[in-house]
Amino acid sequence: MSLTLRSVAYRYAGSKRAVLEAVDLTVERGSVLGIVGANEAGKSTLCLVAAGLAPATIGGRLDGEVLIDGATSAAARPYELAQRCGILFQNPTTQLSGTTATVWEEVAFGPRNLGLLLEEIVERVGWALSLLDIAALAGRDPARLSGGQAQLVALASVLAMRPSYLVLDEPTSQLDPHGTQLAGEALARLAASSEVGILLVEHKTDLLESLAERVAVLSAGRVVAIGGASEVLHDERLDGWGVDPPSRVRLERAAQRAGVVLPAAVR
Amino acid sequence: MSLTGGVPDFVLPPPTGPYRRLNPTTKLLIAVAEALIAFGVRGWTGPLLVLAAVAASALRAGVGRSLLPFLVATIPLVASILLVNTFLYAGATDRIVVIGPLAPTWTGLSFAVQATLRVVAFAMSAAVLGLTTAPDELVADLERRGMGRRTAFVLGATVRSVPRIIERVREITEAQRARGLDTEGRIWRRVRGLVPLAGPLIFGALTDVEEQTMALEARGFSAPSRRAVIRALPDSTAQRGLRWALTAGTLVLLVGSITGLLGFVP
Amino acid sequence: MTTLAAQSLGFVYPDGTTALDGVNLQVGSGESVGIIGQNGSGKSTLIRHFNGLLRATSGRVLIDGRDVTGRHVAELARSIAITFQNPDRQIFAGRIRSEVAFGPHNLGVRGTDLEARIAAALEAVGLSQRAAANPYDLGFSQRKLLALASVIAMQTPVVILDEPTTGQDARGIGRVREIIGGLVDGGRTVLVTSHDMRFVAETVARVIVLREGRVLLDGPPHEVYDEPAWPLLASTHLDPPWAARVGARLGMGSTPTEESLVAALAGRS
Repeated sequence: MSLTLRSVAYRYAGSKRAVLEAVDLTVERGSVLGIVGANEAGKSTLCLVAAGLAPATIGGRLDGEVLIDGATSAAARPYELAQRCGILFQNPTTQLSGTTATVWEEVAFGPRNLGLLLEEIVERVGWALSLLDIAALAGRDPARLSGGQAQLVALASVLAMRPSYLVLDEPTSQLDPHGTQLAGEALARLAASSEVGILLVEHKTDLLESLAERVAVLSAGRVVAIGGASEVLHDERLDGWGVDPPSRVRLERAAQRAGVVLPAAVR
Repeated sequence: MSLTGGVPDFVLPPPTGPYRRLNPTTKLLIAVAEALIAFGVRGWTGPLLVLAAVAASALRAGVGRSLLPFLVATIPLVASILLVNTFLYAGATDRIVVIGPLAPTWTGLSFAVQATLRVVAFAMSAAVLGLTTAPDELVADLERRGMGRRTAFVLGATVRSVPRIIERVREITEAQRARGLDTEGRIWRRVRGLVPLAGPLIFGALTDVEEQTMALEARGFSAPSRRAVIRALPDSTAQRGLRWALTAGTLVLLVGSITGLLGFVP
Repeated sequence: MTTLAAQSLGFVYPDGTTALDGVNLQVGSGESVGIIGQNGSGKSTLIRHFNGLLRATSGRVLIDGRDVTGRHVAELARSIAITFQNPDRQIFAGRIRSEVAFGPHNLGVRGTDLEARIAAALEAVGLSQRAAANPYDLGFSQRKLLALASVIAMQTPVVILDEPTTGQDARGIGRVREIIGGLVDGGRTVLVTSHDMRFVAETVARVIVLREGRVLLDGPPHEVYDEPAWPLLASTHLDPPWAARVGARLGMGSTPTEESLVAALAGRS
């Protein structure tokens, strides 16, 4: 049971340049795959392709296969894809519907669209809110939340669609430190207590190290490294790929260059 | 969280208070009927009837005082209607007074006052609707009656998008002023500033559309099924009867006015 | 000479929220200052007082000793240029060099002087090769650098950067650090707001921490990120940089940056 990209290449509509090429990736249920890379390496495009928005909603040309639990995404409608794989973007405010008066209704937006009965809607909203520990926000106006809170509400709305997989495109990049903390804790809780398979794109490699079991590096549209999180995040070539290694790794390298031995407590 | 049928009470709370607690579609229909009668029925009866109805609703809902700003807002339009028609009504010969080239006429004045009443009646009717009906409840009720989800979305999003647009304009203006764009100096300089202000606004709007579309699709917006009603706002047989009577009555008045059958109407 | 000064600066929004509550600070010429704090702490509000976009509701703001009251934003832009977080809220020109020309052109710069400034600014941000390209051919990181270039070209004595690191990758952040270094070396005063504690520790000489519209801490990184200050930082949900935490754990004293930590370790061994 996995979200698999097989030999995936993608071009945006009207463009000759392949933004992604020969991408092979797998996200298992119940695990977290981290994605790192410089800006414009194709990470956001990867998210759109994995979730099926590209090409189903935004067009463009996809070569290769995207399979979710064995079923190809190619022929699926956007609303079917949304129930297989959810996606969360960087900007907390633009992905909220902008039409609801309360967080409860915002999280109910997706299930309602699917034509579910009221009981099922109520159940899903309650589940999503409590999974992320934001039940206290249920009565608040989505437009008046802090960035971190809005991001959690957006995440709850996506989870309410009950996808088997979740793609997160730099979810903390627009958040302040407190918001990042909230989001990080929510993601940890999500990874630990649900069977959702998560693809997490992040620049904050420290955060990624604590959440992901495996990490893939994207450079100029290709996967240039993939493996266990520690192994990949220790790779010497990260700097060359435009990726900031985790703090500990940076410190080790700096110490090495200065000819200093690091105390065991840090290693 | 206190719930009713599983749904928290703060979600689409039914409005309370006289007039406000009427079903939103009823309130909408009243406003539409008033608008049609105010402009569509010849003579004084139309506008006077509507003004009376509006006054009654306003008093009942307790929004009388809140209508004042709206009334004040109509003054520029009303003033120009009065001036133009009193002084320039074509073909009128019953002059009130002659001051040099100016010759206001009684016919012109009468027409002007009638036109003013129509405008004011319509404006006050719309104001009462706005003051007694939350957009959310209206959209929710219309959707329950069969309005499509796309129309519901456009209506809901438009209302809420205004603050967002205002915020966006502020951000753009600040960024350009911080680079020396003069918005406080001479007028001709300010006009030149339109491109740096409009450019990012338009481009931002286009980008937004794409992001918004993706966000909607990611929440299954294009699924074919009917959407469940979260909360049905109260309606009653009496109100249904009122809506039918109102529709029929408005039609009669309009047809009567157009065909001239309502001869008794002054 | 004190370039910027806020004296008991207070600002209350029309809806009644207090964004700034008695802020006192002075920034001297050539300083590099980082302003940190959660969203809602008053960072954005504070910097907007320096170029007149917002006007104090109490207290005053002085630029080079003169009160800003009554001076237009366009005039103050000669002394203080600010670039904001989202480049797409300001980019409007069809070509990169035209975008960079906008600021100095508004200040009355023309001819060869203008060309020289544009070239220098594009050089500083690494976009010299793309001068004739359309800004939207650039990715987001580079558009942020373009926005930065357009402000550098104004050659104002004071440059304020609002969240230049948000949404940037490692290379972009490195480039911003170099740019700030270059500006300070050139004698300009730089203020920068950021959520990236490590970036702030490694880039500026002075850190101001805001909480609920007030200055909580004000000093060099090795003081503001030192252990005694941690409870204050925690009170506004801020963590000191990782290097500072490790240094404290190892008893190395105050080591706000990795460089200082390594140096301390080298010194000990």
